Amino acid sequence: MITITNLSKNYGKKDAEFTALSDVTFTIADSSTVSIIGKSGSGKSTLMHIMSGLDHPSTGTVVVNGVDLFTMKPAVMDNFRASQMSFIFQSFFVEANQTCHQNVMLPLEIAKVPLTKRRKLVMEALEAVELGEKASNLAGSLSGGQKQRLAIARAIVNKPSILFADEPTGNLDSTTGEKIMSILFDLNKRLGCTLILVTHDADLARQCGMRISLKDGRVASVETVPAKKGQQ
Amino acid sequence: MFIIDILRRSIRSLLSAKTRTILTAFAIAVGAFALTLTLGASNGAQSYTNVIIKDNFDPTELIVTNDDAIFSTTDESKPKVYDQNFGSVTSAGGTSRQIRMLSDSDLTRLAQVSGVESVRPALSVSLQYITRDGQKKYVGNVQSYSAYKQPTLLAGSIPSNLPDKTIVLPEGFVPSLGFSSPQDAIGKTVRLSVRKQFDQSAAISSLLSGDTSALTTSLKTAPTANEQNFTVTAVTKKPSTLIQPGSALNLFVNEQELVKLNDYTTKGTASYHKYLSAYVKVANGGNTTKLNSVQASVKKEGYGAQSVLDTQKTITQVITVLQGIVAVFGLIAVVASVFGVVNTMYISVLQRTREIGLMKALGMHKKDVKRLFRIEAALLGLLGGTLGSVVAVVAGTLLNPVISRQLALGDVRLLEFKPTQIGLLIVGLVFVAILAGLLPARKASRLDPIEALRTE
Repeated sequence: MITITNLSKNYGKKDAEFTALSDVTFTIADSSTVSIIGKSGSGKSTLMHIMSGLDHPSTGTVVVNGVDLFTMKPAVMDNFRASQMSFIFQSFFVEANQTCHQNVMLPLEIAKVPLTKRRKLVMEALEAVELGEKASNLAGSLSGGQKQRLAIARAIVNKPSILFADEPTGNLDSTTGEKIMSILFDLNKRLGCTLILVTHDADLARQCGMRISLKDGRVASVETVPAKKGQQ
Repeated sequence: MFIIDILRRSIRSLLSAKTRTILTAFAIAVGAFALTLTLGASNGAQSYTNVIIKDNFDPTELIVTNDDAIFSTTDESKPKVYDQNFGSVTSAGGTSRQIRMLSDSDLTRLAQVSGVESVRPALSVSLQYITRDGQKKYVGNVQSYSAYKQPTLLAGSIPSNLPDKTIVLPEGFVPSLGFSSPQDAIGKTVRLSVRKQFDQSAAISSLLSGDTSALTTSLKTAPTANEQNFTVTAVTKKPSTLIQPGSALNLFVNEQELVKLNDYTTKGTASYHKYLSAYVKVANGGNTTKLNSVQASVKKEGYGAQSVLDTQKTITQVITVLQGIVAVFGLIAVVASVFGVVNTMYISVLQRTREIGLMKALGMHKKDVKRLFRIEAALLGLLGGTLGSVVAVVAGTLLNPVISRQLALGDVRLLEFKPTQIGLLIVGLVFVAILAGLLPARKASRLDPIEALRTE
């Protein structure tokens, strides 16, 4: 469960102060699918960064699975993120000159998973996104959709409880984008991880069980509907 | 992150930019090359010094003079007062230095110093000529044979006490004196001639007495009467390490014969039974404390004394200064390469901004990010250091025979490499590289993942 209370974020000082988030409060249930939607500059990225502990709020708290993120020391926070959270980005951020296997291995290395257990976990993750046969191919040789699938494999390899996806289909054509989304919703069901989708695409947002709409740093609306089945 | 994972990632990063890696490593390699050669030359010079000392000096002997003016610099700006007890040494530059000579009574006094085994005057007699029947006459120089020297023999043998009227011939004289081979010379007779100094006091007294016949006879007979026959007992190989030029042609006879020759040439002059220096052999002189204590007692008696250790120190000092100069150039190369490493590491950080951002977002610790770049720098140092020192060792090993031949050093190797030294050098360079990588590593560790992963 993620509980966000009175979250505000201000940038700059005095005259040049800019409010990115203002008094944001909501609660996300475990294993749910959440979309954070808003226009560019609405504060949705800032919100995601604070929820994942990458950025600090000016005021307010983020409690993830009973732990207040911003009371933790940096090293403890790192460990917490390494074991509980994962990210998927619009630009994939896969290492082109490394193999798929090496790319997926990264979170396991960071989380200090014993060397002997890694291979199995990596192959499971790659197979979950249907890239098992590409394990020893260089990531640079993959197509855009494959790269994003590789990024998903990397995101789920450590079995996180929260998966942040920042415009995951933004760089893909609509068909590939739909495929990626179906994989993400499927994983949400199978692995039970909370999927937090940051997007400005209303159609995409509508597929999630919880929709948080931001406008000028404030929560414009929170809708909770029975989650639409991930697959269309 | 486990060290093994960090190491693997560092290696992968270096391999992904091969040209950059190799060029940066080359910069370090230049420094490593220079420093390895410096160390090698330093070792070589040290052992060369030791060989020179061993070939030229008996380490159990002290060189003793009447005063220590010969060992120290004195005020050269004022003329010296003449003293008939003084001999003078003229340096190649033409400056004369007065040295009070040692007399026989000094030698006796020295022999009584406790711990002294024996005393012999340092004599070197210039021959008028050396020759043998049917051959030309050659100039030459005779010294007393010291059992310590143990020269390499080409023919014959040297008994522990060289018998009277025998001579040890250097190989240079073999063809000149008409011998077909070193073996041919053994047992043959050579003639040494020494020039008798004109005896002023005898001449004056004979002139005063009015009886000039003795003087006339002595003047007439002198040139022919001084030839002496010596039997060749051994022929020595030309040593590779001598400090005095021309000393390779020194002839050796025993102590008594040399004293006789010397007495003959100096009779009637101020330097009769006067010696510039003497060799004082110390009992158990191989023991440094014994040697030092006898040296101290000799000095206390008012003499100047120098041991091989002092000579060694002097030579070593000169070598150390030369090494220092080369080492400074090597260090400058290393310092220059540090900037190369810093530059390369900064580029590496810039190129991998996103990767670092992602790793930090996924929970990689700051200290692991730092370690990643420090290890990368260390690997650059290791690569450069190994490359440079290996090339230096290979080049040195190939060049050694050439250098020895050019400098006529004989069997001495001027470049001597020691694995532990080279190992330490490489470790040192790795540390330098890590230091160079500190700033870039810090920059990487402070990267804000949000900034690094921003795509807008």
